[in-house]
Amino acid sequence: MVLTAEVIGMLVFTLAAFWGLATWSLVRTMRQEGRKVEILEQQDRMDTYSPEALAELREWIQANPDDPLVDDARRRHNECIEALEETDRRFYDWSDKEIDRLERV
Amino acid sequence: MADAKTARAEWGTRFGFLMAMIGAMVGAGNIWRFPYVMGENGGGAFVLAFLVLLFLLAVPGLMAEVALGRYTNKGVIGAFRDVLGRGGLVGLGVIVLLVNIALMSYYSPLIGWTLYYAVHSLLFTFTATGFEAEPFMETFFANSALMIGLHTVVMGTVAAVLLLGIRRGVERLVVYAVPALVIALAIMTVRGLTLPGASEGIAFTFGVQWGYLFEGSTWIAALGQALFSTGLGWGIALTVGSYLREYDDVPLGGGIFTAIGESSIGILAALAIFPVVFAVGVEPDAGAGLAFVSLVQVFPEIPLGGLVAVLFFVGFFLATFTSGVVITEVSVTTLTEETKYSRKQTVLGVCGLIWLLGIPSAYSADILDYLDFVFGNWGLPLATLAIIGVIGWVLGPERLRLLVVNRNAGIYVGKWWDPVIKYVIPAVMIFIMAYFAWEDFGSPEMIGGMLVIVLFPIIGYGVMSVLEGRGGGPDAADVTGGDD
Repeated sequence: MVLTAEVIGMLVFTLAAFWGLATWSLVRTMRQEGRKVEILEQQDRMDTYSPEALAELREWIQANPDDPLVDDARRRHNECIEALEETDRRFYDWSDKEIDRLERV
Repeated sequence: MADAKTARAEWGTRFGFLMAMIGAMVGAGNIWRFPYVMGENGGGAFVLAFLVLLFLLAVPGLMAEVALGRYTNKGVIGAFRDVLGRGGLVGLGVIVLLVNIALMSYYSPLIGWTLYYAVHSLLFTFTATGFEAEPFMETFFANSALMIGLHTVVMGTVAAVLLLGIRRGVERLVVYAVPALVIALAIMTVRGLTLPGASEGIAFTFGVQWGYLFEGSTWIAALGQALFSTGLGWGIALTVGSYLREYDDVPLGGGIFTAIGESSIGILAALAIFPVVFAVGVEPDAGAGLAFVSLVQVFPEIPLGGLVAVLFFVGFFLATFTSGVVITEVSVTTLTEETKYSRKQTVLGVCGLIWLLGIPSAYSADILDYLDFVFGNWGLPLATLAIIGVIGWVLGPERLRLLVVNRNAGIYVGKWWDPVIKYVIPAVMIFIMAYFAWEDFGSPEMIGGMLVIVLFPIIGYGVMSVLEGRGGGPDAADVTGGDD
């Protein structure tokens, strides 16, 4: 039996969608892990949020000052800023300008 | 009395965590169900439906469950207490625990089946002269003493692994077993694809029948596979996530890699199994019929069939065994935290209880099938509803996403995630339970399912009301995992 172009196309798509994505995510997360380990070998802590995620966390803290988890959120937010200010190597893509603009909440 | 609990265990490596997630989620369903369901539901059309549902439900759901474990650093009951506060509602965690114990009670005899066939593959029984697959399986299933013996061996081995702890036991097992399973299926795929007539198997599995995309049954089958295969909301991802380290990511590894990676093994199983089955001209099937009859008939017919049988059945055993170990770890982690017993005592107690409860399923495959249907259609969705419901409606998905999911994350998860957790997944779980109740209305399975839905919450609420009311709970028992 000769396979049709449609069957071969679906086979290739399925392999790319599943094995391609699974391999990409495995390689990406293992590389990130390697980078984190490398950073933590040189300094005792590092940034914990990306610029986008930290900005969203800050907005939420400001919009929900009475939330029962707001203190925990503040601690996490400020911890990230401290790490950014006090360490040289960063995990996320932060520019010096962005860090200078950051304020604790 | 318990030995000292000094520090909570953590995964030793990122790879260990990832393999634990995959090892837990890849089980019998990926090997003996997924390929057939795919072929029977429009092949490529099913793949598209399945992929959509994986990204819509399983990936976000797994992120949420791992994140809850990461946030609380506790097993199911402790995590629920952290979110809900002390009281009867913590009993929602008891539901998850009861469902896990019930699930493992009938899964252990099934692991015993795969062990039996793995041993016989190593003895080259299936390629011996005069071997007949069907009588062999019937004789095996009729031998209750052997079944109970295998169930005992399985639970004993699970206990032995768990006694070694998270790093030295679970992690050390999965980092070898999961790659070994993938390698075994990959070699079998190469063997299958090089056989004359293999293309028919590929056409059966990957042929595209677009009309199936417009049939409800395709989406129901894809939904069942996307939810049950990924183990969403069973407490497994929560427990595995509770052992993550300080700077570990949640969404990329716990969500995308786990859901897509474990499904990829189902795809690989389809490529490994159906080309071989079609090449020999055996009818495709699912479940025990596929693994223990169709495939066993195939091995003597192909060159190097004995070795292919070893690869398949040893791989199959590893898939089911690693799931069994991590499913049992859910109860061990929680009960070690919630009682004053040591991990060793808890492992022995939990495995002993599961062994006892599993005897009826080991004795009779009919009981196993009944429990599988009841817990698959109602018990497990109830557990998922409990976990995702608490995250969605009490803790709040936005809080969890901002505080945990996007912290140290390998990918950024946006606001789209919040309504999926709060509305979509709970609605789908309620739909599944209602759909199967409607489909099987009045059947013994449906009655069993309704009993689970009604009794488990009552039991959970009652038990935790009494225990929490007494001011019981952990003193210094806030630590588990065993080996750190």
